Amino acid sequence: MTTFTLTPRWLARRPNARYMGLVLLVLLLLFAWLTPWLFPADPARQNLLHTLATPSLSEPLGTDHLGRSQLARLASAIRLSIGLALLSVLSAAIPGVLLGVAAGWRGDWLDRGLGLVADCVLAMPGLLLVFMLAAMAPGQFWSLYVGIALVLWVEYFRVVRAATRSLVTSPQLQASRLLGFGKVYLFRRHLWPELAPSVLTLAAFGAANAVLAVAALGFVSIGLRPPTAELGLMMTELLPYYQEAPWVLLQPIAAVFLLVLSFQLLAGRDPR
Amino acid sequence: MSQAIVRLLVSRLLQAGLVAWAVGTLTFLLTRALPGDMAYRIAAGRYGYENVDRDAAQAVASELNLDSHPLSAYAHWLGDLLQGKLGHSLVSGEPVWQELGHQLGHSLDLALTAVVLALLIGPPLGMLAGLRRGKALDKASLVAATGLRSLPPFVIGLLLIMLFSVTLGWLPAAGHGTAAHLWLPALSLALGLAAVSARVSRNAMARVASAPFYAFAMTKGLSPQRTFWRHGLRNVGVPVVAYLGVQLIYLIEGVVVVESLFAWPGIGHALVHALVARDVPMVQGTALAMGLLFVALNTLVDLACLAIDPRRRPA
Amino acid sequence: MTSLHVDRLSVSANDQVLVAPFSFSLQAGQCLTLLGETGAGKSLLAQAIMGTLPAGLTAQGQITLDGEDLMALTLPRRRAIWGRRLILLPQEPWHALDPLMTAERQIQETYRHAAGHDTERAVRYARQDLVSLGLDTAGARLPGELSGGMAQRVAFAAARAAGGKMVIADEPTKGLDSARRDDVVAMLKQTLAEGGTLLTITHDVEVARQLGGRIMILRNGDCIEAGPADQVLQQPISEYGRRLVAAEPSRWAPRRQYSRPDAPPVIEATQLSKARGGRTLFSEISLSIAPGEIVGISGPSGCGKSTLGDLLLGLSRPDRGQVRRAPGVAARRFQKLYQDPPAAFAPHWTLDTLLKDLIRQHRLDATRIPPLMDRLGLANVLLDRYPSDVSGGELQRFALLRALLLDPVMLFADEPTSRLDPITQQETMALLIELARERECAVMLVSHDEALIRHSCDRCLSLGNAEPHRPVPSTASSLPA
Repeated sequence: MTTFTLTPRWLARRPNARYMGLVLLVLLLLFAWLTPWLFPADPARQNLLHTLATPSLSEPLGTDHLGRSQLARLASAIRLSIGLALLSVLSAAIPGVLLGVAAGWRGDWLDRGLGLVADCVLAMPGLLLVFMLAAMAPGQFWSLYVGIALVLWVEYFRVVRAATRSLVTSPQLQASRLLGFGKVYLFRRHLWPELAPSVLTLAAFGAANAVLAVAALGFVSIGLRPPTAELGLMMTELLPYYQEAPWVLLQPIAAVFLLVLSFQLLAGRDPR
Repeated sequence: MSQAIVRLLVSRLLQAGLVAWAVGTLTFLLTRALPGDMAYRIAAGRYGYENVDRDAAQAVASELNLDSHPLSAYAHWLGDLLQGKLGHSLVSGEPVWQELGHQLGHSLDLALTAVVLALLIGPPLGMLAGLRRGKALDKASLVAATGLRSLPPFVIGLLLIMLFSVTLGWLPAAGHGTAAHLWLPALSLALGLAAVSARVSRNAMARVASAPFYAFAMTKGLSPQRTFWRHGLRNVGVPVVAYLGVQLIYLIEGVVVVESLFAWPGIGHALVHALVARDVPMVQGTALAMGLLFVALNTLVDLACLAIDPRRRPA
Repeated sequence: MTSLHVDRLSVSANDQVLVAPFSFSLQAGQCLTLLGETGAGKSLLAQAIMGTLPAGLTAQGQITLDGEDLMALTLPRRRAIWGRRLILLPQEPWHALDPLMTAERQIQETYRHAAGHDTERAVRYARQDLVSLGLDTAGARLPGELSGGMAQRVAFAAARAAGGKMVIADEPTKGLDSARRDDVVAMLKQTLAEGGTLLTITHDVEVARQLGGRIMILRNGDCIEAGPADQVLQQPISEYGRRLVAAEPSRWAPRRQYSRPDAPPVIEATQLSKARGGRTLFSEISLSIAPGEIVGISGPSGCGKSTLGDLLLGLSRPDRGQVRRAPGVAARRFQKLYQDPPAAFAPHWTLDTLLKDLIRQHRLDATRIPPLMDRLGLANVLLDRYPSDVSGGELQRFALLRALLLDPVMLFADEPTSRLDPITQQETMALLIELARERECAVMLVSHDEALIRHSCDRCLSLGNAEPHRPVPSTASSLPA
């Protein structure tokens, strides 16, 4: 059989988007975790004599309206965002995938029961749920985390359930079953290799959404409280000083953009 | 035909029920999590602060079984919700219904303008890119869409404010009243929506243009233009409109935050205010309205899908 | 008068020649069939003649239609010929029809916008077409609501409505069972009878035989042999031509008689009934199969052949009746071969990994593998490949290898060779039968090819009288309101 590829040349030449996303994420991680070692400064320490200072050698990113070190605050805020994103993605993905496989495989009442729970969560935009949960324990890290994870698991569940459903009746699985293989084998050799790419894509999108949700909460002052360094909160705090010090306001904006961009690129897929 | 519509409406009605239940439950939990004398606060919410005294609070407490059992209190709470008793705002003292009535119109203005803007920008660009895959427009739209998708609507809004009202001074940054006030908030939402729907349209167009039926329409003698109008447009429209349903989540979430940024007097702004002020009746009312708006817009999208995709109308 | 001359036409991608220079000429009313296995570049020829080659491929040579040099025309000028003078019948009609437009309107629009009739006439002609094709009730249906045969007829009518006489049919019988294949051939012959000129591209020797006219045999983009149909199909000159013709099931060597009536059956079924989606697939089927016996199962598509296999293998339960397997035989000794070999393997692992898994799972003797691979004609290097990187024939033999390692007493072979080209099909079937006989493994062979069953099976079980593929909704209610 003659095979030839018709990939347009520009596509083949384009650097791999996922790779770019990974590089960007690693750079952000390095920035967030190395900064406290290289420039040890307390992100909460105010110096009212040095407010909105322009970048200098001692303060490479300048200071905010209370004279706090922007570099330390930015690094701290990125650590917070990434940490929360990874934590909630992990705690959403594991039960989401397991329940999805169980529901898709077993079908019946388990499928219907879990499907109903998923529908309840999906009945409203997730951010509204996160808002209301966050309002119950204002300023608490755990309420944000629980809210975000609670909204995220449904995506894994639905995608994995649909994929499992179609795989369970597929010839490849049937053949292995006839050959005498057990469930663990079927999951390891058949299900997981098919599910893994979607799960990883969902994880990256989920992390992006978690970063966005935390920033949105902080921005409307429902999320974490000052003096915590959080990207959305920093934007709200710095907004009044835009004309005096635009570079300071642009820093958290750029950080959110780069974080979300790195996760979106890592997801490596267009919607649909 | 009508059967499909009935089935759709019933399932959306169920969703609306779920929304009401979820909002009711969450706000109930919120009341329980509040510090201070709950009965007094709720009585104030019902009758207004000026009419509240110890007796009234006591009456509420016994009526709602607030002191006795959480479960029966929960039942009462949901019962009130079911009868549409939303109470009064703890902050303004106005009935929640009345406040919602003012805000809903503003939110609808904003949301619908954003959707219309997004549909005017996104799909045409996307389809053009899909027909000319690999050309400059396709590449540029990919970069722009990736960038815009990485910016939450309130950040797009911030950047627009910096550009248009602070630097250029063309448009007002916040407030409402004139058409000029609508531009920036609507655009903040529309850009993100357009970026995604442009990519969806682009991929759909590329898929349709390389589908055998598209080629067949031309080899049987139709011109490329006619093939596009008769076989391209509708086939691209189906996934784009269906995906609009997914994008509604972005829209509603965006409305909440963008309204706060621009001080746009809609439901989202009110929800955030109520959450900050712990104004429980208003939280319930606004969250309910937001949730139901989401369901209503979803229903419209479903109906639009039904209208353009005959496959969804079983004979 | 329609005539088509193709002179030294070749197709290449970058510097790679995909179809070697190739010439033929076709006068009005004639019929030419290009015969060759899948991937022989046949479809590229059709696309080159139409001018629809995908980007990146180029055609060289000369194509003359009614004295006009097509290669010299600009794309818009070439498009003006489509439908009006040169017709391309689509490969898979289901995919060739717009899923959102009713059948009637897809015929109508050719009359209206390609042939240039006014609306009123276009409507009338389209109705006439539907009636003459026996589709008078199907006009308001969407392609998804048509059966494969109906979609095929609608596509034919839509393609021909602009009045062209030179018809190119590219694999018009792909994926059809024999009854529907014969319908399509009849339609093509009708075209000839109406004064059309026909160029057919197919891998099916039977289609070429029924069409008659002239035949050219292609392989790897080269023309190997050409001549009148009876001559080429009766006494092919080339080695490949001989093998291709001999690979037709109706020409296979007659099977040897085989019977072991005294042996207890490996599997017995009594009064099996099964319904799906409210439709009875079969009822009260009883059967009993002896060791080493080869039983064919035939019947139109959708009659429940595969479902019967699922019941016998214990993959699903019958509504009524029961299946009894020989006592003391492990369940894993009842195995299945699948229609689409790549679909039956976990795609993300090498064949070696999958074989080792099997050995470990059942503590088998790994030294049995090399001789068995030799026997099945499987090279060792294939072990390091993924299922998608070996040919369909090789993968089907791997599936056979996998099953044989478990010493099967019964193999349910569900159309095991229908996706393979004729020569590979012949080789695979010969191996399957030989090994089954040798190991006294019963085979149930599902096929839609009657000749294949006749030439390979000891007896045949016909499931049938199934209703058409899809229940037919009434026309009036499917009109969008």
